[in-house]
Amino acid sequence: MKSDVLSLSKEGGTKMARKTFRMLEVNLSTGSKKTLDVTSLVEGYVGGRGLGAKLLWDRVPAGTDPFSPENILYFGIGPLTGIFGSIVNVSAKSPLTLLRGQSNMSGHFGTELIYAGYNAGLLVTGKASKPVYLLIRDGDVEIKDASHLWGKTVADTQYHLRQEIRKTLDDQNLRLASIGPGGENLVRNADIAHDFYHHAARLGMGAVMGSKNLKAIAVKGSQAPGYADPQKVWQIIKDFFKGARLYKAENRRWGHSVSMSARYYQGTEGIKNKQLGWDPICDLSNAVKLEQKYKIWGDSCSLCMVGCKVPYMRRDPPLGPVVGEMRHDDAGGWNANVMIPGFDTQLYLTPFLDNLGLDNEDVSGVVAWAMECYDRGLFTREDLDGIDLTWGNLAAICQLVTKIAYRQGIGNVLAEGLKFAPQKMGEATKRYAITSKGVAITSYEARGSMSEAVGLAVNPCGELHGGRGDPERMIFDSLTTCTFLRNSIREVFGSVADWGAQMLNAASGWNISAKDWPDLVHRGALMERCYSVREGYLPFRDDTLPDRFFEETIHTKYGKPLKLDRNQFLEQRAIWYKAAGLTDKGLPTQDTLRRLDMDFVIPQLKDVIS
Amino acid sequence: MADQTKSTPVPEKKGWGVENMPYPEGVAYIQTRWDLCIGCGACEMACSMGHFGVMDRGLSRIRIYRYLTPLPKSVQNVCSQCSEPERECQKACPVNPPVIHFDEKNKHMTVDEERCLGSSCAMCYEACPAKVPYLAPPEHDHPLVCDLCEKDGKRRPECVEICPSFALEFMAPEFPQHLERIHPDEKAELLSHRLYPLPKDKILYPLNEKRRPELVEGRRD
Repeated sequence: MKSDVLSLSKEGGTKMARKTFRMLEVNLSTGSKKTLDVTSLVEGYVGGRGLGAKLLWDRVPAGTDPFSPENILYFGIGPLTGIFGSIVNVSAKSPLTLLRGQSNMSGHFGTELIYAGYNAGLLVTGKASKPVYLLIRDGDVEIKDASHLWGKTVADTQYHLRQEIRKTLDDQNLRLASIGPGGENLVRNADIAHDFYHHAARLGMGAVMGSKNLKAIAVKGSQAPGYADPQKVWQIIKDFFKGARLYKAENRRWGHSVSMSARYYQGTEGIKNKQLGWDPICDLSNAVKLEQKYKIWGDSCSLCMVGCKVPYMRRDPPLGPVVGEMRHDDAGGWNANVMIPGFDTQLYLTPFLDNLGLDNEDVSGVVAWAMECYDRGLFTREDLDGIDLTWGNLAAICQLVTKIAYRQGIGNVLAEGLKFAPQKMGEATKRYAITSKGVAITSYEARGSMSEAVGLAVNPCGELHGGRGDPERMIFDSLTTCTFLRNSIREVFGSVADWGAQMLNAASGWNISAKDWPDLVHRGALMERCYSVREGYLPFRDDTLPDRFFEETIHTKYGKPLKLDRNQFLEQRAIWYKAAGLTDKGLPTQDTLRRLDMDFVIPQLKDVIS
Repeated sequence: MADQTKSTPVPEKKGWGVENMPYPEGVAYIQTRWDLCIGCGACEMACSMGHFGVMDRGLSRIRIYRYLTPLPKSVQNVCSQCSEPERECQKACPVNPPVIHFDEKNKHMTVDEERCLGSSCAMCYEACPAKVPYLAPPEHDHPLVCDLCEKDGKRRPECVEICPSFALEFMAPEFPQHLERIHPDEKAELLSHRLYPLPKDKILYPLNEKRRPELVEGRRD
């Protein structure tokens, strides 16, 4: 807290005892608000994604319906939130996969939660009887009526709520997260939007929020984070600012849309629902032209010097005026994968879905699947309520996603996502659903890179992005630090373990060394895997990719054939399991679990693990 | 930490970039380039670390305001070391001689903390058109104004040195400094014009109706 730190610093000492971590728990059913001391949990599971998995294990009984009040919604932050970016990792049981669900959003929401006094995040349980929003101001938590906001789109909600709350504040430095119609209507891939373009989009976190009748969360705080050794924290930050200048220069111009332009040439970006390895339409997604034509200014998250958020504005009609921000994930899903002609057009589509509160990436995969089925005659025009869903038809896509967001007609089926919708639409359509565990694979083309193919398959949450299931990357979501900075951290500080241990010691007053790091890394990752296993996930059965990647050959622009070899894939997968400390079947051993003080999972998993 | 830094050494460059600009002597202030600000808040942390040894944006003399226009846009707010006739804070101070005043020797604004009446008064804050002299009670119950990180006559503003966007410049005034004394609400309003022709109902930044009624009324269509 501010006063403690200040008085200590005036005495000349900056050392503080081990930091306590406080989590706010709000039960929407009863209206109770509690502040929990979760210091011991944070010391084991670090926070964010790791702690979220632990909370899911403890609090959500096996087989719970994700839309029931028993599901939790945890806005997870960690000991390093707000130092290298401000990631909030949202955890809940996923309605899309029925496994462990989590999604990251950047921006300033996590920092604001810390300043409001909750440095271990916000846990929402239960279900409100009518639409509500949460207003958190410096430890003062109010559950307020949100009937007037219900039904509004994301931009509208945030506009009205900001105007409303601003009247009670000195300035407008408050941070909002809200859902749109997608979340309200329990679309299984709905997202949570923070400010304008930060989204916890994946795995249906918005639908869980909607199922709790929670429309929005507003946070405003003024208490200092109170690091144990601020001098050291600050020194590490300064070293990083200086050492990672190159990364800043690389990423600030285009943000992350530029990686797409390159990936089309490597054959690692999906085209026409993964039917092609190259199409001339790919060259229309040119990040250099995008920057020069539409870039407005730069934007960054808390205390991150990179500023890879690059908002764009298209002024000219017929699609303008429209503003938006594109990342590799949504841009890759919407561009050549549904044959949208480049960024010019897609600049309209991304904010269109953002505003409806839908996950651009996953919905684009559903639309690509529907397009291919329509192309092959498996869906008729009547099936699609008269929408002529041809490849690249922007108007048709907009009509369809609106139907999805409000669950009207065919939208009610497509809103179920790629785990359930193909079951309803017939056996023949299943082959064209490019999915892993129910999550659409959109921007990634697995045939271009074996390591990415394995990375997409082995994630216990379903497909996220290439490599997002690696324990070494997962720890960034637990800390929570922006995972995009991982390579720069390795370059500047030598190893992530050294950096992480020093950073945690300085920020939280812990006394760990690089030797303790692997345990922290693996505990959170195993917790996540164990939770999914309890919900019915079997790694050796489910960690696979659609047949298309193994059976159909695509060709890159330069004629290079690409296809995955199934045996080679299984070999590489086994290597990945071994590196992650798992058995050949992708499961932890009882010894490993005991060593990491996770004995408590063994009784419930004893049928599966040896 | 230093021995663990393994970044590739870069030879010192003699460039003409903003980072190599010489610091001014005499009257000077921190120019804010709001269009370049990305809102990371490193300046706030540098300021509170430099003055108090803590990382707390509430104790910073430079403040970042993050607006939605509806695109997120951040602007800075820091003392512009106004010339004497325009020094509204000093004029407003009820104590004689004024608690908040210009240090003629070191050429920056300063506050006599012992004599300050604190947040019960806050006349300087009210008088400043940009609302710069921020009070942070109870820990720091007197105005926080930029002293250009002056120590023993040497001025090295930490925020300018850390800013990764070169959005802060330590400059001698080229024009009367008070012209840059603009309320952050107005800064956001001005920048939002770059989003023309986005219609008015799409503009999200909430202005403070009580404090800046003229902006709320004058909002463009």
